Amino acid sequence: MSTAHDQPLVAGSTPPTTRRALSRLGLALIAAAAGLGGCAMSPPQPWEKGNLALPEMTMGGDALDQRFIQHIYGSKEAASGGYGVGGGGCGCN
Amino acid sequence: MSSVCEIRLDDALGEGESVLALAAEQAIGEVRRIEVAYSRYREDSIVSRINAAAGSHEVVGVDDETASLLNFATQLHALSDGLFDITSGVLRRVWDFKAGRVPQPAQLHGVLPLIGWSQVEWDGQTVRLPRAGMEIDFGGFGKEYAADRAMAVLHATGQRHGYVNLGGDIRVLGPRADGSAWRFGIQHPRQPEATIASVELTEGALATSGDYERYFERGGQRYCHILDPHTGQPVNHWAGVSVTAPACVAAGALSTIAMLKGAQALEFLADHQASGLVVDTAMRIVRIGDTPDHCITQGVSA
Amino acid sequence: MAATDTRLPPRSGKAGAIIAAALSLPGVIVPATALADTAPERGEIAIKYLQYQDSQPDLSRIRVRAPSVYVMVPLSPKWSVEGSWVSDTVSGATPRYHTAVSGATRKMSDKRIAEDVKVTRYEERSSYSLSLSHSGENDYQSNAGGLSASFSSDDNNRTWNVGVGYAADRISSTNDPTLHQRKNTVEFMAGVTQAWTANDLVQVNLTFNRGHGYYSDPYKEPDIRPDKRTQSILLTRWNHHFSEMSSTLKSTYRYYHDNFGINAHTVGAEWVQSVGDRWTVTPELRYYTQGAASFYYDPVYDPVVGAPYPPGYFTNPPQFISPDQRLSAFGAITAGLKVALKLSADWTVDVKAERYEQRGSWRLGGQGSPGLEPFRATFIQFGVSTRF
Repeated sequence: MSTAHDQPLVAGSTPPTTRRALSRLGLALIAAAAGLGGCAMSPPQPWEKGNLALPEMTMGGDALDQRFIQHIYGSKEAASGGYGVGGGGCGCN
Repeated sequence: MSSVCEIRLDDALGEGESVLALAAEQAIGEVRRIEVAYSRYREDSIVSRINAAAGSHEVVGVDDETASLLNFATQLHALSDGLFDITSGVLRRVWDFKAGRVPQPAQLHGVLPLIGWSQVEWDGQTVRLPRAGMEIDFGGFGKEYAADRAMAVLHATGQRHGYVNLGGDIRVLGPRADGSAWRFGIQHPRQPEATIASVELTEGALATSGDYERYFERGGQRYCHILDPHTGQPVNHWAGVSVTAPACVAAGALSTIAMLKGAQALEFLADHQASGLVVDTAMRIVRIGDTPDHCITQGVSA
Repeated sequence: MAATDTRLPPRSGKAGAIIAAALSLPGVIVPATALADTAPERGEIAIKYLQYQDSQPDLSRIRVRAPSVYVMVPLSPKWSVEGSWVSDTVSGATPRYHTAVSGATRKMSDKRIAEDVKVTRYEERSSYSLSLSHSGENDYQSNAGGLSASFSSDDNNRTWNVGVGYAADRISSTNDPTLHQRKNTVEFMAGVTQAWTANDLVQVNLTFNRGHGYYSDPYKEPDIRPDKRTQSILLTRWNHHFSEMSSTLKSTYRYYHDNFGINAHTVGAEWVQSVGDRWTVTPELRYYTQGAASFYYDPVYDPVVGAPYPPGYFTNPPQFISPDQRLSAFGAITAGLKVALKLSADWTVDVKAERYEQRGSWRLGGQGSPGLEPFRATFIQFGVSTRF
């Protein structure tokens, strides 16, 4: 499994905030890769997918719960979104 | 097919009996097609044509379905160290289970040279049995294959709840209409009216091999119809092996090979990630594998 | 006869060769549907009642009560439709800017109603959705739509998602009846979900939003924000199932960056634990940290003019400025617990309680914005859902 490469940036070519942001992004990808690099990817055969189909294994989870929670966080914090498109806005930001 | 065959469907969507009956009919049609195509008793079946050409220089071309079954047989032969061998049917000529006669050593020596899948010339498209008198038959997995194919036909008609049971070789289509599992009993090897364990399945297959399907006893010893192709002698280590697997052909092959492997069966089954149980001749049960999706409960019930 | 129950341990590793050989026989196995969506077999109705109460020291702030309904109906094996409706009733004062200044604590009551509907078409290896949503309150209307599609590999172990969305918002102000502003946003998202092993699902999503329009807060003064907002978001999620323990660990990491100069990280984990056949207990923990917007100003005021104006505001007016606590640098922690009970094969009830706290000093690295009171909130949800 490949790991993300954190290329050194040429000084002065990108503004400090973007450079910080990019290096943080690189760190995040490396952390994610390291977390899973320990276990080799071995995609399941069709008959091994029983556990993946469990309701607790879905990515979204409870629709109303998630919608409400993300709405609250969106009105209390600057960051929002990333989970889907077409959700619309509200007067809280 | 000489044993009981059953197709069970649950009407989860309220389609009505006639719709389900139609689906079942199509599945039964598929079972009959396979029965006819691979029957030893019909002259025009592919199996009979291959057997009739044994010992001649004629090579027989086969269709895709037969080719895939022959490839499967090749793999089973290799993975079982030669114990699973579709040319071993000739032993039927010297073992008479109806009359209960043990063959003379000379008779066995007569047929043993005709057994051996490694002798068969199979190149992926054409097949030739090199010696006259050699025979192949799909009895080792024919019923299980038919159960899987019948299930596929039911699935294609839109059914999702039910199972196919061909004489104890079972393939589940899907759980009962309410989502709960089907419960199948495993026959007690020594008490025909009782079960020794039960298995609950919502999907997959269950197949059982035992020393009680066709046998006779002489001089305090049981001779069953599962014969080792190397020695020509019946196996006598296990009374029964039941395996659950995603497909019935797999469950059937695993259970038959386990019977043939005798004491090495447990290691073999563990290597192949099989789940199920084995019963020895003292009726002791050893469970195999890890059973997350279905449960096996033990206990004799009559 | 008694049966002894000796059990051999299963070998780990891939399934045996015989099973693999059997499954390569044509027509023996039916396609599994682990990842790719197929129309669900059963429909679902869920009702939830949500309650939120926030506070800052010395003053209880906002209380929100929100009943909501969600319905999903499979119309056929190829089509499904789902929709939800939520009504938030907000009462209490708005969160203060700068908290150090007393004032602007007018009692407020507001109601927001939001609806959305989504139609999905399922094909064998792909699915396509159209969604529409509307949200309305007395000073804000939002209409949005989205199109998304997912594509799965042949073995269903990898699914690609892509989506575009558009939102058109109208902003007004109960303070200022002459205020009529708009804000339009285009969203684009792409991602992939991979079945990493038989017990692991991993997802990575990238989202880019570009919006034009009015971003300032009409209730704060001074508050001038750029008329453009671009956001980039990286979301990674990992679900790991522990079959021996009947539990699943769900972890997420999200990185957010926008042109306001805000960088934020969100890390969350939930442990879904089955207890017996019917109960599920899920504790969760979330940590959020954000940097301040480039135009956020600390509660340091001009010595001559006084609050709320920062030093030099009139002599050297800044292009953009905002005192909004939500744009300051802070960290926040949420701790929560959800308990669900399966009453029958079709009915489930659940209750969830979460406690949220936001503090400048909790920012990652410790450089949080000074001078702000901690912000705390409690959320509680009760829900019941049924399948049909």
